[in-house]
Amino acid sequence: MERILDFIAKETDGKNYKSYKYCFEAVEIPKLEYDDKKGIQVKNKGETDRSLNTTKSVKDLADKISQTGKPLFKYFLDGSRRTYKIDDIAYGKRLYPVIAGQIGVAICERVDEHSFKAVNFKNPLVISLPENANAQTTVGNDELFFNNLIQKLNSQEILKNQNLKFSKILPYKNTLLTENDKYEDRGVAKIQDEMIALEQKVVFELVKARKLNDDSFLIKDGSLEYMKSGESKELSEIKANYDCVVGVSKAFNPEALSNDVKDISRRIAELKLYHRTPAFMYQTERIPDVKFAVWYLRIRETLSPFDGVLKIEKILVREIQEVEGLDSDEIDLISANIINERNPVCYGKDNRWEKHLYPVYLTESFIKSQYLSDIHFINLF
Amino acid sequence: MTKIIGKVAATEKNPTTIDEFYFWTNKQRILNPFDVVKVEHIENSISYGIVEEISHITDSASYLSNFISSDFGDVSTQPNMHRIGMNFVKAKVLGNDKSIYTPVLDGSKVGLANQTEVLQALGLKDIKNPLICGYMEMYRDEDKISLPVHFNSQFLIGPEGAHLNISGISGLAAKTSYTMFLMKAIQEQYLQKSDSNDSVAFVMFNVKGRDLLAIDEPNTNLKEEEKKRYTEMLGLTTEPFQNVKYHYPYSDQSKAKTYSYGQCNDIEAQIDVNKAFKYKYVFEDDKLNLDLLFSNIEDSTGTMESIINFIITEQGGFGEVTSWSQFIAKVGEFTRPGRTTGDREISVMSWRKFKRVITKALNNAIFSQRVIPESNEERLRDSIVNIQKNEVHVVDIARLDQDTQAFVFGDVIRAIYELKLGQEEREEKEIPSKIVIFIDELNKYASNDVPKNSPILKQILDISERGRSLGIILFSVEQFKSAIHDRVKGNCASHAFGRTNAIEISKADYRFVPTVYKNMMTRLDPGEYIIEHPVFRSLLNIKFPKPLYKQFPNG
Repeated sequence: MERILDFIAKETDGKNYKSYKYCFEAVEIPKLEYDDKKGIQVKNKGETDRSLNTTKSVKDLADKISQTGKPLFKYFLDGSRRTYKIDDIAYGKRLYPVIAGQIGVAICERVDEHSFKAVNFKNPLVISLPENANAQTTVGNDELFFNNLIQKLNSQEILKNQNLKFSKILPYKNTLLTENDKYEDRGVAKIQDEMIALEQKVVFELVKARKLNDDSFLIKDGSLEYMKSGESKELSEIKANYDCVVGVSKAFNPEALSNDVKDISRRIAELKLYHRTPAFMYQTERIPDVKFAVWYLRIRETLSPFDGVLKIEKILVREIQEVEGLDSDEIDLISANIINERNPVCYGKDNRWEKHLYPVYLTESFIKSQYLSDIHFINLF
Repeated sequence: MTKIIGKVAATEKNPTTIDEFYFWTNKQRILNPFDVVKVEHIENSISYGIVEEISHITDSASYLSNFISSDFGDVSTQPNMHRIGMNFVKAKVLGNDKSIYTPVLDGSKVGLANQTEVLQALGLKDIKNPLICGYMEMYRDEDKISLPVHFNSQFLIGPEGAHLNISGISGLAAKTSYTMFLMKAIQEQYLQKSDSNDSVAFVMFNVKGRDLLAIDEPNTNLKEEEKKRYTEMLGLTTEPFQNVKYHYPYSDQSKAKTYSYGQCNDIEAQIDVNKAFKYKYVFEDDKLNLDLLFSNIEDSTGTMESIINFIITEQGGFGEVTSWSQFIAKVGEFTRPGRTTGDREISVMSWRKFKRVITKALNNAIFSQRVIPESNEERLRDSIVNIQKNEVHVVDIARLDQDTQAFVFGDVIRAIYELKLGQEEREEKEIPSKIVIFIDELNKYASNDVPKNSPILKQILDISERGRSLGIILFSVEQFKSAIHDRVKGNCASHAFGRTNAIEISKADYRFVPTVYKNMMTRLDPGEYIIEHPVFRSLLNIKFPKPLYKQFPNG
């Protein structure tokens, strides 16, 4: 039975080295990675209530909702990927890493307090190769070449026997490396982009099925500020899908807005329990035609000041919102409902329990449970 | 598969094995211990399992996590959702329809079984020589199934296996009712049999109030629903016992001349139709049973035995004695100091002890001068050895003191034993081929504390070890099985466990029972039993309806 790497090397006229295979997530030292990106322009007022300058408690509203109403959030979205350095392959004079990945994107639905189910789940396997794996590059034939390659790959016995399929080969740029640049990172970035594209796709499918409305919102784990690259569409084109979607970030840079809101990190640190900051409106350089409302909310009293605070984002979908900011009542409603999501906690299971929302944690756990084990995956190659 | 309720889970810590497997179900799925489930297995076969344990787990790492989830101990917190949780069930493998015993595989679908499948799984389908022993209920609501359960009678009353032991605490276990239910089923079956070589008769002792003193009279309080259960599900009639004879101890004190808890009117009515008798013991005929009076008396040096021997062999002038009063007077002679007659090796002190014991016992009016058959008086032994096929003999000993009870009991089983050994002058084919003896409070006669030389214990051991081949079957009942002599319970082929207490289930006798079943034993309702029988593949949880014969709720 021919191994996958031998097959790829043969098909792309390269030379593979059978180097050490490993999972990036398992060996890399975790570095602080914030969900929010640089290059932000902030307007101080992101909501209709202009008088709110300090902070505001939403606990009473939260209590009222929990006693009488139904929770606003019904759907929960998370995406993650696991990437692996599989081998090195030589094309011409240079050696390129072969990166493979497992992507998992899921939306789970909470029907009632007892029932929690995945309604949309995608978990493709992908490989990332340098663009010059295609030796005969002419304009536009890359897609054809890699599609062809993936089809041949999937008909390999080793995959057929195990009923597995790779969904895509994602070519990364083989241009010369600059300082602090690595081919590995380029490969991983392609896989990350693919994950983002899938996240957008599942939201679109949910909207198309008319599942999202004023009574059933979706929480997306992490920032809504998607980068523009790869297959992912321009956010401005699809922003209408995000009317009922809220991004909740656990990790954020407290200084992100500091150019325009001077004391922001102190204000976040001193945020009282169940209080929210006013919403700010911001735009990024990368996606200039989309505006976001962003605010911070403390859901738990903690020892270190930033634990227990969430960054909440919403895309401003309508024109009036882009002018006047998000309706303050909506911000209160979202905040109150997020406060009501604070329990149960995943204490003992996840170190980020103070900021984790349980349904999001479950969605994440579901995705992880669906991955092939690292040993299994690595040994496919 | 029709109704799928979960899937098999095999983990590193809890793999599936030849004997057991685990599966998960929705946390709201109601299952009970003893429910049967089926599992899809390789080669399109079906494996069956019986539920042993059910646990509920959530993803909570510790209690602390739950505490924190309530806003650090705020009991009024109402979260938007419950923790993700599920039930996982431990099931014991009962079998596979293609005899594949490879462990069931992870992810295999688990479903509820239908009636036929349950019967097949538990080995209850096509039972040979079926004898109804109760019914089983499984699942709930629209899935609920009720099915009759049968013993293989050859393993209950011979010849393949014999003897039944029933244990359970007083009142709550309904031990007597269950024994009577089984005996009623046996009698009904044999009444319809035409095979003259296979017949049965019953001897039972009434030890409590009026419990068994009207077993041939119908239970007027039995509800229609219960009657229907007898006729439709269990295939029995609703008639009470037939061919019953009652034996009451004689007394000169009461109007009916009996020493019983039974009402005089009732007894007289029974006497009028010639189904009740008053038993007596006469010295000349019954002196051979004197040893039975000593069954609860420690006699490590064997002196009492020597004295009894001395008397039975008619030494020392005992040959001339013809009545109990003469007998006591004669014994009195040996208790005087400085006597010159008799066996000099037996000390005066021993004679005095002997006298004390017999004087107390012989005070009872059943030890009498002679029997008057015209007044329905009898020698109990004579009636017992004349037992006819399908007869039920009830011997009332409830009001007698413990030593006299032992005497009567010992006399009866000795009589049956000798009858079956062929020592009586009766045609072999006239004698019932099986005699079922129902002993209540077995602990009085065969507990671990009974003196080892007790003649009754010896007799019971003999019956439990040889009774199967002789056709003497013991249906024994006691509160605590752990107190019973090992050889007695070890020889019982079938066992029924009724409600018992926590101390009892911690004893070695219950070591083989899974923990959940053990704990269930402490919660069983009256009319509910856990039974063990050689042809069953597992312990079963069965129920039986209320008795068909007249009940005396106030004893």
